[in-house]
Amino acid sequence: MTNFQTIALVLAAILFAATLAAAAARAINRRAAFAWIALWIAAAVAIARPSITIAVAHFLGIGRGADLVFYCAILGMLIALFVIYLRFKRLEREITTIVRHLALRDEEAAEAASSEKAR
Amino acid sequence: MVLQPDVFVVVPAFNEAEAIGAVLDELRPTGATVVVVDDCSSDTTATVAADGGAIVLRHIVNRGQGAAIQTGVTYALRRGARIVITFDSDGQHDAADLAALVAPIVGRDADIVLGSRFLEPRSAIPPRRRALLKLAVLFTRLTSGLQVTDAHNGLRAFSRRAAATIDIKLDRMAHASELMDQIRRSGLRYAEVPVRVRYTPYARRKGQRGVHALRVAFDYLVGRWVR
Repeated sequence: MTNFQTIALVLAAILFAATLAAAAARAINRRAAFAWIALWIAAAVAIARPSITIAVAHFLGIGRGADLVFYCAILGMLIALFVIYLRFKRLEREITTIVRHLALRDEEAAEAASSEKAR
Repeated sequence: MVLQPDVFVVVPAFNEAEAIGAVLDELRPTGATVVVVDDCSSDTTATVAADGGAIVLRHIVNRGQGAAIQTGVTYALRRGARIVITFDSDGQHDAADLAALVAPIVGRDADIVLGSRFLEPRSAIPPRRRALLKLAVLFTRLTSGLQVTDAHNGLRAFSRRAAATIDIKLDRMAHASELMDQIRRSGLRYAEVPVRVRYTPYARRKGQRGVHALRVAFDYLVGRWVR
């Protein structure tokens, strides 16, 4: 095993453990935990047995195993970016709902105060 | 002109202290209830609006024109509005058009009345603006299927039922296209009436630039996917 493989596998193991801890603490939900664990296992397999990624790459018509991993990483990041973008949009809407609620409530309070004064 | 106080005019405003006083002076004699939604202006818009006799709602964070309009509409409905009008705060609209704007609703011929500058010969539309707006109309016709002549006019009137049905979710400028979609899906009856748009130097300086159109179109298309 090369030094790179040793370091990368240790890193994957740490991330694997961290994911389990986060899931146990309910910091992430079950579905997210499964997705992350699957990712760390896939990474560990690709690091420990590069021949597997090469075989999959050849099957897909990609020259090198490293290229396959690279393409998958880019694709994964684009998907993540899109999901975050949608979540951001939803968050913006929720902020608007709160701002609207406050605007209406503030006016109601001012109205009540002024009619109180008039009396 | 005589409008009843249960006709609410919603005026979304963002940094319009310079122009909104004159707008309110024009609206006051109509007899309608005027609601200014101050979208977190950094100038004295809120004070000028209050001095101008309007009810002022204030967004504590800037949320955009679509959001401000929806806030005003929600308020008007809570206060028992029978008709809700939206009216821009930069002085481009003419209060003299309001009577014709509400007429189809009063006559029960339409639920929503859209102002159209292209039906009004007195609108002196600058050529580049005209070209851009025509493109926008084409876009709206393609996406919503409504055969309107002016999709981006801030002067509109809603019956109470229509105002309660419409729910603007796109905070910024894409709300105009979103509104067209909602009209079509809801099956509300709409009509267009000619209205004058005044292209004052102020309104032109404050108005949307052409380059923003792509951003607006993008917001709108994404908005169709996000709930």
